[in-house]
Amino acid sequence: MKIALAMLCVAASAVPAFAHHSFAMYDHTRTVTLKGEVTKFQWTNPHGYLEIDVKQRDGSTKHYSLEMTSINMMTRLGWRSNMIKAGDLVTATVSPLLNGEPAGLLLDVTLPDGRKLEPGVPAIQTFKRTPPEEQ
Amino acid sequence: MRMRIAAVGAAVVSCAVALAAQQKASPAHPDFSGSYERYGNVFGQPTPAQLADKTIPPRNPPAPLKPGPMKEYQDRLAAIREADRKGTPIATGYVNCLGDGMPSMMNAMFPIEFLVTKNQVTVIEEAFTQVRRILLDRPMKAVEDVEPGFFGYSVGHWDGDTLVAETVGIKEEIRYQNVPHTKNLRIKERVHLVSPEVLWNEITMEDPEVLEKPWTVTVAYKRLPNYTLLEYICEDNREFRDANGIQQIHVGDTGKK
Repeated sequence: MKIALAMLCVAASAVPAFAHHSFAMYDHTRTVTLKGEVTKFQWTNPHGYLEIDVKQRDGSTKHYSLEMTSINMMTRLGWRSNMIKAGDLVTATVSPLLNGEPAGLLLDVTLPDGRKLEPGVPAIQTFKRTPPEEQ
Repeated sequence: MRMRIAAVGAAVVSCAVALAAQQKASPAHPDFSGSYERYGNVFGQPTPAQLADKTIPPRNPPAPLKPGPMKEYQDRLAAIREADRKGTPIATGYVNCLGDGMPSMMNAMFPIEFLVTKNQVTVIEEAFTQVRRILLDRPMKAVEDVEPGFFGYSVGHWDGDTLVAETVGIKEEIRYQNVPHTKNLRIKERVHLVSPEVLWNEITMEDPEVLEKPWTVTVAYKRLPNYTLLEYICEDNREFRDANGIQQIHVGDTGKK
């Protein structure tokens, strides 16, 4: 796992980030931080997905679908399909869908062991981050 | 018997001469088979190191479009920018899991593989598993004899160490960087190594109805020595094109394993 992590760090700076389709439907002006339980880490093209259940203040659960990048790009960045499993408690930094539906673009995810992984969103610097305390 | 030996001897000599002539006529060409990735500054300003690197081609010129097609092109770019600004992007072929086609696939958004064989050079682009075949030393077809498609019909030959290819038969909606073209688009490529590690493809588009003059763009690829292209299947495409041509997304787990 150490090797994989080193690969993630090294590769992230070298791999060109290309987008196959527009991410303009996601809010570039703010992020939301979602803490939740993974129901599925979907390893598919054209993009991977992280499905998570997020506990709400009233005790109910809200499901979010988080879009990632192509699994080919993620593989070149060091990702593997078994890095996240159903039941994992994760913290996700997400650019929310502009139309308000419970979905977003995953900018990074922190795993239960503290590792923070990025799926290599192209032009990630154009997504303005909102500190968790301001959300 | 003596005659027969002489005849066999003459045949052997003439074969040897013919073989030597053939070898001379088709000099050894480089086998640049292998995996590559796009090389150079694809977005933004080049760094000083990139400017000093002579294996990175200079910035490509804009398309020399004639006034009518130029207006159509600029209006299209403006519409794309405005739609993105509003958060309602115009759907492209990618939204329907369609590959780039020619010559966009040669931009190698994902790694690209060249397979140089005796009668054919095969090019595979990882994204959408795009494959095109350049048939060597075959006659070119007339445009009207090629059914329009994404990759068209390509023939090629070796000019010393350079693979020279020509392609016709590209669907009009398959555009390179949104630049319009007609069914008569002709794409000429010159592919050659500029260093042991870097391959250049000089791509010239000819289309007199829309271009003032031929438009040449150069794309560089760098070897990925230990990389095998990955599979790419559009297995769960949640994006879709709505009735207004806008890219939308299905929200929620689709049940795909």
